Amino acid sequence: MRTNAGGIAATVVALFLGVLVVTQFRSQDVYSRSLQLETPASLTTLIANLSDRNNSLRDEIFDLRLRVAAARDSVANGQGSLAESQREIDQLKVFAAVSPARGQGITVKIDGVFDDRAMSDLVNELRNAGAEAIAVNDMRVGPRSWFAPGPDRTILLDGRQLNGPWTVKAIGASDVVYVAITRTGGIEGQFELIYPRTHFTVAKQTALDVAAVLSQR
Amino acid sequence: MLFGFLVTAQWQGQQERSQVAVRYNAPLTDAALLFQNEQNDLKRQLQDLRAQLDQIQASAASQSGAAGELEKRIAELKAQAGLTAMVGDGVVVQLDDSHTVTAGAPNIDQAICHSTDLTDILNTAWRGGAVAIGVNGQRVVSSTSVYCVGSTIMVNGTLLSPPFNIAVIGPQNGVLAAFDDPSQLRDIKARRDVQGLGFRVTRANAINVPAYDGALTVRFAVPQ
Repeated sequence: MRTNAGGIAATVVALFLGVLVVTQFRSQDVYSRSLQLETPASLTTLIANLSDRNNSLRDEIFDLRLRVAAARDSVANGQGSLAESQREIDQLKVFAAVSPARGQGITVKIDGVFDDRAMSDLVNELRNAGAEAIAVNDMRVGPRSWFAPGPDRTILLDGRQLNGPWTVKAIGASDVVYVAITRTGGIEGQFELIYPRTHFTVAKQTALDVAAVLSQR
Repeated sequence: MLFGFLVTAQWQGQQERSQVAVRYNAPLTDAALLFQNEQNDLKRQLQDLRAQLDQIQASAASQSGAAGELEKRIAELKAQAGLTAMVGDGVVVQLDDSHTVTAGAPNIDQAICHSTDLTDILNTAWRGGAVAIGVNGQRVVSSTSVYCVGSTIMVNGTLLSPPFNIAVIGPQNGVLAAFDDPSQLRDIKARRDVQGLGFRVTRANAINVPAYDGALTVRFAVPQ
């Protein structure tokens, strides 16, 4: 009887230990991503980003509803939908980068050592900030553009050599894009730490001109 | 002793998580998921409106030669801009966190995928001649950004998590050659070989790349 009780107790302890070991092992198991593991600061940034995107979608939905109603009325009145079609073409020409574009925005001047991956990161950051048309040294960055290292510390954009100093133009809401690039901990600050001898100048511009993309495959 | 160690370790682990997680993370996570669900719904509404507009224009085009020309031009531009789904041959790139690294390991940064890995892969694919790319169902277009907060990655402002399947339509030999080039993606290849980062490029046929379903956001740039 005593032996049996001892055996049961030992089994219970062993089981308990086993559960703990397994639980502990699992908590140190393969790294996994989960929103719940993010810090509150990261989650707040994510939510702000999602909120911005959703606001853009809402704006476009509002705009499209008006356009659909106007196009319907126009067709019903026998006037066709030419005005609406032309408006859509204008929008798509900018989005596909196949026409030159003009508008407010920012310029980023980079004087000193820089490289293709950093330029790609800067373009990515400008797009995330809402830039609508981007050019490097007056060469338009298209939807299928790529960067590569060129000879003598130059940068290739779609195979064409761009020499420094580089000027990046980005058309968009100048206040918003400027803050996104220059904010504390933003990409300009990161570049200044990585390339301490390179001079970065970010400035808002009331009017910028960018060319059309050179080629589309 | 072993028992005590395990109990203590387990209790401490849960304590550290609870202080932050219980108070802030649960409601913030719920809010993030709510915003993502709202975004999915808004995108559906947007697609519906775009389809209505297409229908009106198609109807008008059937009645007028000028409208027909404009409709053709819109279709061309939509294809160039990535607003049309595409099917074609190409390659599929798979990128994933290492399945051997443990949480808290000192080399974890090297063993998981980052937003810069995705941007480097996209850059290499375009360089190889890609004509259309999708990342976990998100079409890569002129406004696409790959954004990283903490360990969460967003593409086109949409929350994504690994594994990443990057569908690339384009000339297979050219795209494969770009990925095989030893000077390309050195960092990713080294982390695959040493840390077990998941990275594989395979030839694939009849790949589906979806249309871009986000906002066009052309508000400040005026075509000239």
